Amino acid sequence: MGEKLPQVQGDPQLRRDTLSRPVRTLRAKMVLLGSSGVGKSSLALRFCKDEFRNTSPTVGCAYLTQVMHLSDVTLRFEIWDTAGEEKYHSVTPLYYRGAHAALLVYDVSKRDTFIRAQVWLRELEKQYVAGSTVLWLVGNKGDLAQHRQVSVQEGQSLANDRGLLFTETSALSGDQVDKLLLAVAHRVYECVGAQQGGLSEWQETPHVDLRRRNHLFASCCKVGP
Amino acid sequence: MSQRTERRGGIHVDQSDLLCKKGCGYYGNAAWQGLCSKCWREEYQRVRQKQIQDDWALAEKLQREEEAAYASSHGPQTQPPSQSTPPHPQPGHASLGPFSKFEEKKTNEKTRKVTTVKKFFSPSSRSAPKKETQEGKTPSPSVSRRASFDTDQVSKDFVDFLKNLQKPGREIHKQCRAFIGNMSSKKDLSADELSECVQDFYQNLADRLMGHFKCSSESVEQVMDQVEKYIMTRLYKSVFCPETTDDEKKDLATQNRIRALHWVTIEMLCVSFDEEIPEVSENVVKAITDVIEMDSKRVPRDKLSCITRCSKHIFSAIRITKKEPASADDFLPALIYIVLKANPPRLQSNIQYITRFCNPSRLMTGEDGYYFTNLCCAAAFIEKLDAQSLNLSPEEFERYMSGQASPRCSGSEEDWSSPAPAPTNPVLAQLNQNLEVLSGLSGRQEALMEAAHSLQADLLSWPESVQHEVHDILKKYPLEVLPRSAPAIDDNNDVDNDNLPPPLTPQVV
Ligand SMILES: Nc1nc2c(ncn2[C@@H]2O[C@H](COP(=O)(O)OP(=O)(O)O)[C@@H](O)[C@H]2O)c(=O)[nH]1
Ligand SMILES: [Mg+2]
Repeated sequence: MGEKLPQVQGDPQLRRDTLSRPVRTLRAKMVLLGSSGVGKSSLALRFCKDEFRNTSPTVGCAYLTQVMHLSDVTLRFEIWDTAGEEKYHSVTPLYYRGAHAALLVYDVSKRDTFIRAQVWLRELEKQYVAGSTVLWLVGNKGDLAQHRQVSVQEGQSLANDRGLLFTETSALSGDQVDKLLLAVAHRVYECVGAQQGGLSEWQETPHVDLRRRNHLFASCCKVGP
Repeated sequence: MSQRTERRGGIHVDQSDLLCKKGCGYYGNAAWQGLCSKCWREEYQRVRQKQIQDDWALAEKLQREEEAAYASSHGPQTQPPSQSTPPHPQPGHASLGPFSKFEEKKTNEKTRKVTTVKKFFSPSSRSAPKKETQEGKTPSPSVSRRASFDTDQVSKDFVDFLKNLQKPGREIHKQCRAFIGNMSSKKDLSADELSECVQDFYQNLADRLMGHFKCSSESVEQVMDQVEKYIMTRLYKSVFCPETTDDEKKDLATQNRIRALHWVTIEMLCVSFDEEIPEVSENVVKAITDVIEMDSKRVPRDKLSCITRCSKHIFSAIRITKKEPASADDFLPALIYIVLKANPPRLQSNIQYITRFCNPSRLMTGEDGYYFTNLCCAAAFIEKLDAQSLNLSPEEFERYMSGQASPRCSGSEEDWSSPAPAPTNPVLAQLNQNLEVLSGLSGRQEALMEAAHSLQADLLSWPESVQHEVHDILKKYPLEVLPRSAPAIDDNNDVDNDNLPPPLTPQVV
C-alpha cells in the first residue's frame, strides 16, 4: 500500500472511556463511488467475503456489512454500493450524506474513469466540510498492468494535491483489498478521536453517549462482532 | 322517490341513493359517506369532538391504571396521583419543562443540529402560506373512528411496555403526554418547525435516558422506537402532509408524472427482471404491493419497513433472473421500475414525513436507510427522467409522453410512419380498431367544429352586411321630401260620372 497505517491516538478521554468498558462496536458508513464497471461491486464483495456467507441469500451486494476489529474498538462498516451509470449521477449526493468514508474508485486501465473520479471529487468537496469524512482514492484493476492508462504516480499525486489517501487494489486477485479496509477503519476511528466535534456535521443520531455526542458514531451495540 | 329508478348498463341507480343520507334534500357524495358537504362537515366535527373527548378520557384512564400499577409495585411511599397531572411546559419549548437543566446546552446544539437537519432532509417549506382550514383533506369520519381505535391500542401497548421499565417508564410516559399536549397547541408551525420539535424531543429524551437513568444504548434504542410509535401515531393526522407545505401539490405532480410515464418498459430502464419466470413476477407484484402499503402506515418506522420489504422482493427478483446477487447497478433501476408500476399514493408526502419525523440515524445509516435513500433517488430520478436516460431519441420520448405512440403496440421505430402491422393479440386488434374508429370520429368532429365555426362567423357578420347594404342604398337613393301638390281630382270635373249607373233606390216590394 506504500504508506504506513495511521496510528490510533484518540484523546485521553476517549481512551479512558473505551478502556473502562468492553470493546464497543461503532457504526461506520462507507460509500463506494465511481463510474460503471470500475469494480465497486467487486470490491464490496471482497470487503465482505467473510461475512458474505452469513447474509441472507435474498439480499444482494448493494448493501453489505463487515466488522473490523481494531485494538480498542470494533467498527461495523456499512458498505453502500452506488449505481455508477452517468444518468444516476444527479441523485448520487443522497447516498453520501452522513458517510464516514467515501471510496472514490477508478479503473487504472481506463483513463476516462480517472477523469470521472475527479468530477466526483469536486462534487464531494462541495458537500463536505474538510475532515468530516475520510476520502480515499482507489485505483482498481491494478492487475491489468499491460493495459494500464493511469500510472501509480498520477493517482498518488492527485491524492496528495487534494488531501486524499490513495491505494491501488485488485478486486480480482484481492491484492491490497483487506489492507485498504483496515486502513480506512483506522483512519475513520482516528478522525473520531482527533477531531472533537469535527464530524458533528453528520452526527444526527439521538442514540449517542452524552459525552461523545459530537462524534459521528451512534454507539449502537445491537450488532456484535 | 324509489319508483324513479333508472336502469342503465346494468348499474342500478336509485334517485334516493344520490341524496344526502341526512335527508336534508341536497345531493350527497360517496366521498363524504353519502352526505352532502354541509352535513358531512357537521358529522365530521361531531366525530372529531367525540374523539378528542375519548382520547382525553382514555389518557386519564391510562394514567390511573399506571398510577395504580406503580403504587402496587413501589409501595405506599409513591407520590399521590394528583401530582402526576401532565405538566404544562411553556409554549415555545417542545419538552423542556422537566429537562430544564439541559435547556441551555440544548439551545446551542439545537441551532447547529437544526441547520443540518434542514440541509439534508427537508427542502424548506417555511415560506409556504398557511391555508385557512384543515377540513378539506381530512379522512372520513369512519376512518377517524378506526384510527382512534388504533391509537388506543398503541397507547395501551406503550403503557404495557413502559411498565417493565419501572421508574424511567413513568417519566417517559409523562414526557410523551406532555409533549403531545404541547404539540396540539402548535398547529400553525411550519413543517420544518414541527420536525424540529419532534427531533428535539427524541434527542432530549434519549439524552435523559442515557445521562440520568444510565440506560444502555441498546435499551435506549428500544425505548425510542416505542416512543416514536406512540408519538407519531397521535401526531400523524396533524403533521402528515400538513397544509403549510406544498407536499400535496408535489404528490399530485408526481402522480401525474408517473401516469404519463406508463409506457416505460423494463428494457428501457435496463432492469434485470425476467417476468416470464413466475417466481420473478410474483416478487415484482409483492414489491409493488409493499411500496403501495407504505401510505397506510402511520409510524415512520413502519413506513420504512414497507420500503425494506419492497426492496428485498426486488433483490429476490433480480437474483432469480440473473442467478447472482444484485448489485446497486441492478437495484436502483429495478426500484425505479417498481415505483413507476406502483405509482405509490402520496409518494412525496410519505418521503417528507419519514424524513421529518423518523429518527435521522435510521435514514442515513443502516439497511433501512440504504433502501430509503434509494427510494428518494428513484423519486428524484423519475422527476428528471428524460429521453437520454431511457436511451430514446427526444422525438420518440415526446411521442410516447404525448400518447401519440406506444412502445408496446408495435416494435421498431420505422413502423410509426407506415401503418402498424396487424397485432396478433385479439385484444390489441380490437384496441387498434377502436383507436381507428376514434381517430375517424375525431376527424369528423373537427370538420364539424370547423363548419360550426364558419357558420357562427357568418351569422355574426350577417347583420353587419345587411346594415352596410341598407346604408349604401340609402346613400345611393337619398330620400327627398317633395313639396305637397294640390289634389289632382276635382269633383266638378267628373267626366265619367255620366257612365255610372244611377244610384239604387229602395223599393217597397
Ligand atoms: N481485471 C480485473 N477486473 C476486475 C477487477 N475488479 C472488477 N473487475 C471486473 O470489472 C467488471 C465490472 O466490475 P463491477 O464490480 O461490476 O463494477 P461496478 O460497476 O463498479 O460495480 C466485472 O467484469 C469484474 O469482473 C479487478 O481488480 N481486475
Ligand atoms: Mg456495481
